[in-house]
Amino acid sequence: MKHAVELEELGMRITDASRFIEKAEAQLSRRVIGQHVVIRRIFIAMLVNGHVLLEGVPGLAKTLIIRTFAAAMNLKFQRIQFTPDMLPADLIGTMIYNPKDLEFYPRKGPVFANVILADEINRSPAKVQSALLEAMQERQVTIGTQTFPLQEPFLVLATQNPIEHEGTYVLPEAQVDRFMMKVLVDYPTYDEELEIMLQSATNATAAPIIPVVQPDDIARARALIDLIYVDPRVQRYIVDLVVASRKPAQYGIASLEAMIEYGASPRASIFLLLASKAHAFLQHRAYITPEDVKAIAYDTLRHRIRPGYEAEADNIKPDDIIRQILQHVQVP
Amino acid sequence: MNGRFDEFASGSFKWLLFLLLASFPMLTVSAFPDAAAGAVSAITVTVTPDSVLVGDRIHCTIGVRHTANDVVSLEGIDSLTVQPFALINRKQSSAPLALPGIRQERFVFELAVFGSGWQPIPPFTVVLRNSEGKVITREACKPSSAVFVRALTDSTMRELRPIKPPLKPLIPLLLLLPVVLGVFGVAGLVLLLLFLLKRSVRTSAEKVDPCQVAQRKLRKLGSRLSAGMPPPECYEELSNIMRTFLEKHYRIRALEAVTQEIERDLKKLGVAGYESIMNLLAQADLVKFADSRPDAEESRQSLRKAEEVIRSARIPNISEE
Repeated sequence: MKHAVELEELGMRITDASRFIEKAEAQLSRRVIGQHVVIRRIFIAMLVNGHVLLEGVPGLAKTLIIRTFAAAMNLKFQRIQFTPDMLPADLIGTMIYNPKDLEFYPRKGPVFANVILADEINRSPAKVQSALLEAMQERQVTIGTQTFPLQEPFLVLATQNPIEHEGTYVLPEAQVDRFMMKVLVDYPTYDEELEIMLQSATNATAAPIIPVVQPDDIARARALIDLIYVDPRVQRYIVDLVVASRKPAQYGIASLEAMIEYGASPRASIFLLLASKAHAFLQHRAYITPEDVKAIAYDTLRHRIRPGYEAEADNIKPDDIIRQILQHVQVP
Repeated sequence: MNGRFDEFASGSFKWLLFLLLASFPMLTVSAFPDAAAGAVSAITVTVTPDSVLVGDRIHCTIGVRHTANDVVSLEGIDSLTVQPFALINRKQSSAPLALPGIRQERFVFELAVFGSGWQPIPPFTVVLRNSEGKVITREACKPSSAVFVRALTDSTMRELRPIKPPLKPLIPLLLLLPVVLGVFGVAGLVLLLLFLLKRSVRTSAEKVDPCQVAQRKLRKLGSRLSAGMPPPECYEELSNIMRTFLEKHYRIRALEAVTQEIERDLKKLGVAGYESIMNLLAQADLVKFADSRPDAEESRQSLRKAEEVIRSARIPNISEE
């Protein structure tokens, strides 16, 4: 069978260009036990310039994953603990007066890094959240009158605790929508837990992480991802999934009509396509299949679908709605 | 003589007139002997209406004629003494009569009626007093008037009412029975026919072998390919046929599943030779999603493979039967 020559070539280039991911994953596995899905999602977000909202109870190695990821990827890492008394200036920086030359100089905040861990983002008031989310969107920060572009790659990994809501400021839907994915960090398996325990319960220093990524590796990977072929059938499948979250009756799931207060935004289609491309890249493929779309559908859609009153009463979560949609929308 | 007579006559007339005038008060008294003696001349009792339901109200009017100087009052009609009546209201009025010195006293009692049957108006006493308030006379009266009280329930019935004969239907039941039985019979027949029809449809649907259907579709696809159908379209059709076959034959969700999910389900079911199915689906995926351009010969080979896969899937089912 003759394949399209360009795609064959592209497939080979992708295999070659994605090697750094395997190396980085190998470094991560030295420190982080399990959480493979979370790690893959972080790579996907990095490859297509997205940001990730991590949700999980404390103690699931969220910070460790991100710190190790940044170290392995040879990226500048900043951890920002969001607190209720935080100000936007604490995040983006401020103008400092220099009495020697009687002038103000900008002092850059911790947001000027490649990988930002916005820990417990919902602990800060809306003005701080929006300052970060603006930086995420615009990829530049204005201090005083000067605008500074943020370094590339710029990846924000925000965490929030799903069980503790007291003294928190819930992220508005418009802000949450800016995150490419919302990844649920789950507990490790029994064997993983055992390994974590044995690895951590020691006085020995942890194995050092060796940076394995060259500065242009990520840029090259991004360029190749842009070339990944998306068949019109897959394009329509993506749009079908997103539209089904808004008008489920059109896809034979009228029972979901009352369960959804509002469906996914057009950003969902964009991010679903980008994330599918990155997923295909990680599979060393030069084209997207519906498998790629399905694989990242939950993470891309769960924070964009708001369950209605009836769904909440029946304890139906966004993941249940997405499952229904995936089961009913016909695969091309 | 005549003159004497005239004198005598005129004198007699004067005497007669004098005697008449002198005797007038005596005549009046003799006409109304009781009034002259300070007694009640007439007592009248009227009841309206004379027949009521229990709890209804009646008006009992007592009229007393007396001399104008006397004061009349009634004793014995109050809320305690009028049982089984209940005194609701009483009014008293006085009016002069045409005869000089005589008045009519009128007492109107509003009474609620209880009990049942004929209820006599209770007795009362008429008391006459002079202008100084001293009792002149006291006259007991037992009226003959009565009111008939009808009970609301049948508790007052003293005899059984005759039982009404049952109404005879216009059409005798025996005549209707065959019609009713006929209607039931037709309804039952219709239901039976529907049941049999439904069962036969279901059985025939079950009898349609997905393998047969898939093979028939593949043959058609092969002939369309020979007629010049583009190979990519052929692969797309092939993928649909295979997925429909898998869904019907193995009862898995294949139309809404991606190739990996189908592979997982077939593995779980332990389908022998699932690799061949997966190869076909993977090839179709390449054509559909990776812009692969197979030639007509490759398409024919794939169709032959698909037919083999379906034939091999059918054999165990036949041996089971």
